Amino acid sequence: MGRYVLRRLLVAVPVLLGTTFIIYMAVYALPGDPIQALAGPNRVLSPSVEQALREQYHLDEPLLVRYGLYLAGLLTGDLGTSLTGRPVSEIIGASWPITVQLGVTAWLFMAVMGVLLGAAAGLRRGGPADVAVLGGTTLIMGVPFFVVAYVAQIVLGVNLGWLPVSGTEAGWPLAYVLPGLVLALYGLPQVARLTRTSVLDNLAADHVGTATAKGLPRRAVVIRHVLRNSLIPVVSLLGVSLGYLLSGTVLIEGIFNLPGLGYQIFTAIPQHDGPVVVGVGTLLVLVFLLVNLMVDLLYGILDPRIRLD
Amino acid sequence: MPADVCHETTDNAGETLGGAVVASVLAVTAAACSSGSGAAAPAAEKSYAVGVTSYFLSHFTPGKSIGSNLDYALFTPLTSVDTATGKAVNAMAESIESADNTTWTIKLKPGWTFHNGEEVTAQSFADSWNATAYGPNAFTNNYMFAAFKGYADLNPADGKPSKKTLSGIEVADRSTLKVTLTKPLSLLPYVLAQTTFAPMPKAAFSDLDGFDRKPIGNGPYRLEGDGLAAGATKVVLRKFEGYKGQPGNAARIEAKSYQDEAAAYRDLQAGNVDVTLVTGNNLTNAATQFKDRLVRVPFPAVVYLGFPLWDKRFSDLRVRQAFSQAVDRDTIVKSLLRGFGQPAKGLAGPNIPGGGDADCAACSFDPARAKALLAEAGGWKGPLTLWTYQDPLNTVLLEAVGNQLRANLGIETVTTQAQPVDQLYPNLTAKKIDGPVLLYMGAGYPHLYALADQLFTKGSGTNVTGYDDPKFAALRDRAASAGQDEAFGLTREATRTALDGLPLSPLFQPVGGLAHSTRVSGVRPEFLGGAVLAAVKVG
Repeated sequence: MGRYVLRRLLVAVPVLLGTTFIIYMAVYALPGDPIQALAGPNRVLSPSVEQALREQYHLDEPLLVRYGLYLAGLLTGDLGTSLTGRPVSEIIGASWPITVQLGVTAWLFMAVMGVLLGAAAGLRRGGPADVAVLGGTTLIMGVPFFVVAYVAQIVLGVNLGWLPVSGTEAGWPLAYVLPGLVLALYGLPQVARLTRTSVLDNLAADHVGTATAKGLPRRAVVIRHVLRNSLIPVVSLLGVSLGYLLSGTVLIEGIFNLPGLGYQIFTAIPQHDGPVVVGVGTLLVLVFLLVNLMVDLLYGILDPRIRLD
Repeated sequence: MPADVCHETTDNAGETLGGAVVASVLAVTAAACSSGSGAAAPAAEKSYAVGVTSYFLSHFTPGKSIGSNLDYALFTPLTSVDTATGKAVNAMAESIESADNTTWTIKLKPGWTFHNGEEVTAQSFADSWNATAYGPNAFTNNYMFAAFKGYADLNPADGKPSKKTLSGIEVADRSTLKVTLTKPLSLLPYVLAQTTFAPMPKAAFSDLDGFDRKPIGNGPYRLEGDGLAAGATKVVLRKFEGYKGQPGNAARIEAKSYQDEAAAYRDLQAGNVDVTLVTGNNLTNAATQFKDRLVRVPFPAVVYLGFPLWDKRFSDLRVRQAFSQAVDRDTIVKSLLRGFGQPAKGLAGPNIPGGGDADCAACSFDPARAKALLAEAGGWKGPLTLWTYQDPLNTVLLEAVGNQLRANLGIETVTTQAQPVDQLYPNLTAKKIDGPVLLYMGAGYPHLYALADQLFTKGSGTNVTGYDDPKFAALRDRAASAGQDEAFGLTREATRTALDGLPLSPLFQPVGGLAHSTRVSGVRPEFLGGAVLAAVKVG
């Protein structure tokens, strides 16, 4: 087990390196000029300032040299400096707690609601719950994500005033309920549907028939034999979904004015703020890798037959 | 949440276990309620919340800031521009005098201090100006010092500057500053009204980064707490009791930052901020919802169609006139902007000192004449591409302009192209753009001269058309060296000359709005459109 974890962590190193490289190149492949972006549409920079800024951010060096400098900085624990003049580490330090709170809130919503709805649908196939879940999830999948976000914000936040509209002022959990719910909808249909399918499969399995024939009460059968087995693929999906959720935070944090990691990426890309995009993006990839590792470890707990060596 | 749930919890609610539960529930409710006022201040204190875009909260150093309403609350420059009369009036200056408009003597009012108690002296101004004018500091507003003598020494074409101070700034005594320019500019008092020219205390220079986030200014409000700490989404301003000018009304101001005006507006609707700038599509909604609590804000700017003078298809004046007269500005403003705009009759609207004149002959809509002019010039052959930078409103405007050119000039193939700002401007500089370009230009300081200078002067970073006319330059220089009163007329003449040559065709002067809650009054716009923070009254 320990060796397995170590191996996985070692594999993560080249993956992360590759990530920094790809994101770095992608940011600088964007057409346009970061210094011009810094100046804005209505402001001019004097040639001397432009020159000073180019030197400061090594924009006068070839791309590979710049990347090398960036990596060298990374190895000494320096994440670089944003074009706004702030150290990237400081920006990340201030914004990760917000994204964690949002991600966890959304993930909990997604997991709990998805499993409950999916199980309710699967246990009574063709029943009213099943029809409602299938119809509802189809509807959610058909509507663009940002539309849901704006509508929820305007209806629940502005018009009804039930929940804070934006910002983190109300603190956790209140400030995160609305964005968390919307973000959860992003992956909810898949979770609910997979749970439903999985429950149906397991209901038809031999060991469930045997357990019922032995005279076990239905509750025990459902909980011990059906749900536990059904959750294996769902847990795997929940792990992968976290990646989707993380990408969703870019949009959600923008709409709900939550200054988390996604918000930083959202604002840094049009500004060509390479150091921020690379730093934050790589961090998100790291989180994704770690969550997937945890998911794989969870398998072993859910299903003793799975060995991780 | 219904308002009747929002009431103060009493102290004795916590005496019993049941009470504790009730109290905690109430505390949660109260937390939800307090977001309604946007302020956690004691009820007695006059406090309000203003919504700003995060752009306003990038930098507070005078040499790096954008001159937002926050900057004006924290700093008081030498002068300010009275919007009613269009005149530059003294703020921190006792007097600003010059015999030849090149060498200036500036005397300061006595007794002014920074928020930390340090006295504001002539040296405070000199220190601030020298820091910004020194190229290697990379302060973004550095270019505004190009007119000062000695600027070239601090910003050599290559290599390190040999000096650290402008030779054109001389501290004569504690309250007297002597300024020398490279050439006459009678409008210097208007230029000095920008927060770029605000003073900096000695304490700033031991930690410039810290100062950038938590400035020590000389304005009516001081910054409380950590200022722009990393990830800060709001700053708190508190009335500066030692202020010698017109004091602010509110005791405390919370400035909350949003990604864009739309997000701030949604929070205004939800009751979490008291005043915010409204732009774009939200203006129509705000007009119906806020009615008389929406203050119209004419921006000191112009949206124009610039012609690529390097493209031989546009070298004939008649072609440019045809394009200009084929655009129905009134309809665009009425239908697309829902009236939030001023169809252009000239370069600047009446809200800018010197502006408001109909100095653009080719800005009237006359499709018949436009067609005739184009035919006279040999007609139009081939496709036409229109350009702008990526912005939701710009792309819609460009489509509308394209449709009108197609309909009124009979040009068959019209395509529109939007590029990011940071791509379009370099392409314009490189003369790689092959068609008219729709752009927005804000006046650097409140005077028609600023706008004309930015758009028509050869070598100006924002003159994108390649326009260069000695006749205009001569008139412009005459305006700059004349007295302030004659400068208005001469600037108008120079502007008219430029618009007769029509390197660009003004379309409209944009208008925004300041929407506010019922809690506040006295909302009026600052130069860049945000509310004048010191003027807002609570209750």
